[in-house]
Amino acid sequence: MTSVCLYFEVHQPIRLNRFSVFHIGNNNNTVSSYFDSQLNQEIFTKVSKKCYLPTNNLLLDLINKYDGKFRISFSLTGTFVEYCNQYIPEVIDSFKDLFKTGAVDMIEETYYHSLSSLYDELDEFEEQVKMHSRMIKKLFNYKPRIFRNTEAIYDNRIAKKVAEMGYKGIITEGTEKILQWRSPNFLYKSTNANIKVLLRNYTLSDDVGFRFSARLWPGHPLTADKYARWMAQSEGDVVNLFMDYETFGEHHWIETGIFDFLKHFPGKVFEHDHMDFVTVSEAVERYESVGEIDVPWAISWADADRDVSTWLGNDMQIACFNELKNIGRKMKEKRNKEMLDTWRRLQTSDHLYYVSTKGMEDGDVHKYFSPYDGPYDGFINYMNILQDLKQKL
Amino acid sequence: MRVAMIGWEYPPFKAGGLATHCYGITRSLADKGVQLDFYMPKTKHTTVSDKPNLNIIEVGETEIYPYDRPYNKELAGKFYEAVYRYNDLIVGKVQGKYDVIHCHDWLTMKAGITLKEKTGTPLVLTIHSTEYDRSGWLYPNQWFIDIEREGMEKADRIIAVSHFTKRVIVEKYGINPDKISVIHNAVYPIPEGHKKEIVLFLGRLTIQKGAEFFLRAAHKVKDYEPDARFVVAGTGDMLPRLISQALDLGISDKVIFTGRLTEEEVRHIYGISSVYVMPSVSEPFGITALEAISAGTPTIASKTAGFSEAFNNCLRVDFWDTDEMANKIISLLRYKPLHRTLSREGKREIELFTWYQVADKTLGVYNGVI
Repeated sequence: MTSVCLYFEVHQPIRLNRFSVFHIGNNNNTVSSYFDSQLNQEIFTKVSKKCYLPTNNLLLDLINKYDGKFRISFSLTGTFVEYCNQYIPEVIDSFKDLFKTGAVDMIEETYYHSLSSLYDELDEFEEQVKMHSRMIKKLFNYKPRIFRNTEAIYDNRIAKKVAEMGYKGIITEGTEKILQWRSPNFLYKSTNANIKVLLRNYTLSDDVGFRFSARLWPGHPLTADKYARWMAQSEGDVVNLFMDYETFGEHHWIETGIFDFLKHFPGKVFEHDHMDFVTVSEAVERYESVGEIDVPWAISWADADRDVSTWLGNDMQIACFNELKNIGRKMKEKRNKEMLDTWRRLQTSDHLYYVSTKGMEDGDVHKYFSPYDGPYDGFINYMNILQDLKQKL
Repeated sequence: MRVAMIGWEYPPFKAGGLATHCYGITRSLADKGVQLDFYMPKTKHTTVSDKPNLNIIEVGETEIYPYDRPYNKELAGKFYEAVYRYNDLIVGKVQGKYDVIHCHDWLTMKAGITLKEKTGTPLVLTIHSTEYDRSGWLYPNQWFIDIEREGMEKADRIIAVSHFTKRVIVEKYGINPDKISVIHNAVYPIPEGHKKEIVLFLGRLTIQKGAEFFLRAAHKVKDYEPDARFVVAGTGDMLPRLISQALDLGISDKVIFTGRLTEEEVRHIYGISSVYVMPSVSEPFGITALEAISAGTPTIASKTAGFSEAFNNCLRVDFWDTDEMANKIISLLRYKPLHRTLSREGKREIELFTWYQVADKTLGVYNGVI
């Protein structure tokens, strides 16, 4: 049996207002003025209409059509859920409907989609995971068993911590850096902790996530039939397809045929007798690990480098990261909820992603997502806000 | 291949980017084996070439003025007369068989047109700026526009220094876009010096270059970065007005007007400055930005500046948005990681802008008309 494990990351960052050096230390600015609620609402509404609502509808139809044999997993970030509550509650309702089918699993992560797993101490990380856990409990009355860190950032230390927190499985990137000759289509075990590791099959995942509408790609046009055949030919226990949920209707517009592709995908998989779908929890229950992975230096699924250089690749990013991290203790002593929330919202990894100066293809991807005219503007704005927050302490 | 290039300025005589461009393009074309005769007006300096297949030919006794759009009426009269005289002299002086005649801007167009008509030699015209740019899009002078249009129409091929300029040529002069190639300028890197807290403006002090916006931004920076000094390097008809503007703003103790600098001084000031600002109202390319960046000086440039179409590692502002300009100046002075990263990444990217590349693309244009 080869199982297809389909998992979607559902995330929207909280974008920042333009904040110049002249605003720093100006007491008329409250911390809420850091966030560009108008832009955030605009983008969230747009993406909900193009992606979240239609894709959720389609998935619900498909689950019903195949009697719950089509199975999927989601991770919803806290910032995403806040947008739902604030702007379009029916988006979260539609996720609840999906969950009620019993064919949908929820994955844990940090509430703020942050880089807190890279701090010197892991207490902030643990708190943010617990916040996420409470949120999922409240929304779905469910306790996730599988963890996926921000953009699949993973190392031995993180695996150990997550295992200690009681999770049975953790998701990361199936990069050759850690696998060498081995296949991502099996489960592995962390070298230093009792936790199973699910590895993203990045080739097959990116065929849809990145390449689906790339006309110059030899695989274009990608049909459900062709894609299911590629998977059927793969060896191993489980093919892990992990991608941004915005793949559907946002990164690839409806005109590219992405929804038709998704619509026909489960049926085409079921045409192969040796294949089925599993959620991330089921994958971990059903399959045994075939080996260990040892990851002393953090990896991720971001960019071509598959490490944390996406967020900490230049001096500007490191300066912001340290600035934010170093005010943590004082922030907690202050016991001001609004300040603490703000500090945590600023930890969302996207703020550092916008400051990346990587060139070539990755740079183009960064540009696509960035609300700024380049990384330097991103740095100035973010750093100005951090300076203001520091002064408010 | 034999090319007659008709120029206006050439180092050590230099009023602006045109001299820098001609220096770079002639030397790199010569290195690629082109037999190149570069014609220019006779100046007080003697211009020499150290390459056997590059001849610098000085023409006449024409006295030339440091910038190409004088506002002083008397000076302007003499200037236009000089341009005409030079163009007439060139027509008599350019002898022999050339494969291509290559002119630059309106200053040398008349000669190019006449030579093309007389000898049938293909004419290539590089547009470094148009009358619209030089007038800051305020009161363009029809007399220049007519000369420019005639040259553009009669040229076999036009080289624009940016896509921005190509659009102007198409939209304002009605030229067929298929006839226009875009070739961005390049730079000979300048060594980085020991950085001081200097914020630099360098360019002709004309309406086009927007020095007044630089001063307004300086006024806003002053209280936040009291150690910063602002250098306005260059000269032009706006100088008196800028000096009184600095007095009015109460920043005359922070601003240094250097007047015209020598080549050596220019290199020095690029090297030791911490920030370069190019607030041009209109900037077809902006070669000075590449020079500053090559010296490790992070640059804040007008959003419309031609070079920034093809360049990532710089900061961009609307020239009129002096709040944002000041925000960026202060950020560069205050946040060392920003300064360091822009400086390093800028120098790395500048390596892609070589005159050899410009020569290769120019040769492509020549081969298309021969």
